[in-house]
Amino acid sequence: MNFLNQVGAILWKDILTEYRTKDVLTSMLLFGLLVILMFHFAFEPDSLETEKYGPGLLWMTFVFAGILGMNRAFAGERENDSLQGLMLAPVDWGAIFLGKMLANFLFMLITETIILLSFTLFFNFDLLPRLGWMVMITLLGTLGFASIGTILAAISMNTRMSDVMLPLMLLPVALPAVIGAVQATAAAFTDPPGEALTFWVRFLVVFNIIFVTLPLLLFEYVLEE
Amino acid sequence: MRSHNSLAILTFVLMLAALYAIFIYAPTERTMGPIGEVQRIFYFHVSANWTTFLATFFVFLYSILFLMKGTREMDIRAAAAAELGTVFGAAGLISGTIWAKPVWGIWWTWDARLTSFFLLWLILIGYLMLRRVVDSPGQRAKLSAVFGILAAVDVPIVYMANRWWRTQHPAPVIAGGSGSGLDGQMALTLSITLVAFTVLYFYLWRMRCELERTGDTVEALQRQLQTQGLEVR
Amino acid sequence: MRYLFAAYTIIWVVLFAYVFSISRRQHKFHEEIARLEQLLENRRRP
Repeated sequence: MNFLNQVGAILWKDILTEYRTKDVLTSMLLFGLLVILMFHFAFEPDSLETEKYGPGLLWMTFVFAGILGMNRAFAGERENDSLQGLMLAPVDWGAIFLGKMLANFLFMLITETIILLSFTLFFNFDLLPRLGWMVMITLLGTLGFASIGTILAAISMNTRMSDVMLPLMLLPVALPAVIGAVQATAAAFTDPPGEALTFWVRFLVVFNIIFVTLPLLLFEYVLEE
Repeated sequence: MRSHNSLAILTFVLMLAALYAIFIYAPTERTMGPIGEVQRIFYFHVSANWTTFLATFFVFLYSILFLMKGTREMDIRAAAAAELGTVFGAAGLISGTIWAKPVWGIWWTWDARLTSFFLLWLILIGYLMLRRVVDSPGQRAKLSAVFGILAAVDVPIVYMANRWWRTQHPAPVIAGGSGSGLDGQMALTLSITLVAFTVLYFYLWRMRCELERTGDTVEALQRQLQTQGLEVR
Repeated sequence: MRYLFAAYTIIWVVLFAYVFSISRRQHKFHEEIARLEQLLENRRRP
């Protein structure tokens, strides 16, 4: 099986598993919506404040929901001890990583799309004019986050307090992605967007290059016995 | 051990020299008025921060070396470096707040340097926590090495992201960092203190590594007794 | 100047506490090593 096929197989396995149970997506979504509700009660932002704090709230919601999803990423493998099986099969480490990472990426994107639409609904975001930018920013921000999250989830899976360790490690390391995404989002919603928008988008691209490559290279050390 | 003693003596002498430079040799800060003496905190504060970065660098270096060579010694050095980084980081953060209060009237500000430094400190603590919650020693070494590398690469990026963010959202900047035009005597004092702290770092680092090796010896003896069928309480 | 004193004192306390904890643990290890070696000795010649 060549590399791409391996990646596809693992990705498809995770998608199928999720499709059958729908555990991860529903919990992420529900959590996201609850967070929106809590933000409303905590801040009660008026329209001016929504503009100011909206991007931050949006990405914090993405981050919290993402962490929830990421925790589940290897939980299934651990519960069924299926990781051993995966490692015994003649599959490239890199393929396992990419497959899992793309699965996480996909699940996060689905959740984020719905959360973004909810934000638009509940907080009256004017999404349409900057939809293209938002799509790009969301893709870029989520990719780095998913990549770092996948390798850190693999690490924390081996620890005693795995659910706690993941966010503890993920939040600091993924922070630049969050900063970049929030700033880019804020810029996208300003008229005119100015250089800040292109700057932060480029920043996210560079960040992704580093933090997709590095975890890919390091992944084999995490899984080795 | 002769080399142990000479490092100890060197540390002691350098620190003494630094203290002398800080309190006697360095001139009093003139622009701050009657509280000018407070400025002397700066020497230790900057040095503590510098040492934290040094420690982080060694965490990074020895994490890579461990993944390449797989020896326990590399793991020991990385872990010890992380511990030292946490200790010096705490000293730097606390001294920083104590310095900031009389000079700027605030305990804390979210400028790029402080924020990134605080994050670095949290990352080091995260590294130590990770080591605590992994039971198998082999895995502990490997997993913390991977995290160490990811985190170390992240730190400069966090700093830059913060700085670029700050240029868009200016906040009170803590002036007077290293290189903001220091008076000659102050610069010399700072240099002496930096050197003293660096040597202190190596001294403590060696001590901490030694402790870890002793711990390994204890465990080896316990295993030996167990294989001989004796109960080890 | 109280702040100056506080800052240097805290740094000293932090560093000293750390060194002290290392020293204490080292001492405990040495005691344990002595004990274990004694046990091994006893095993060798009952």
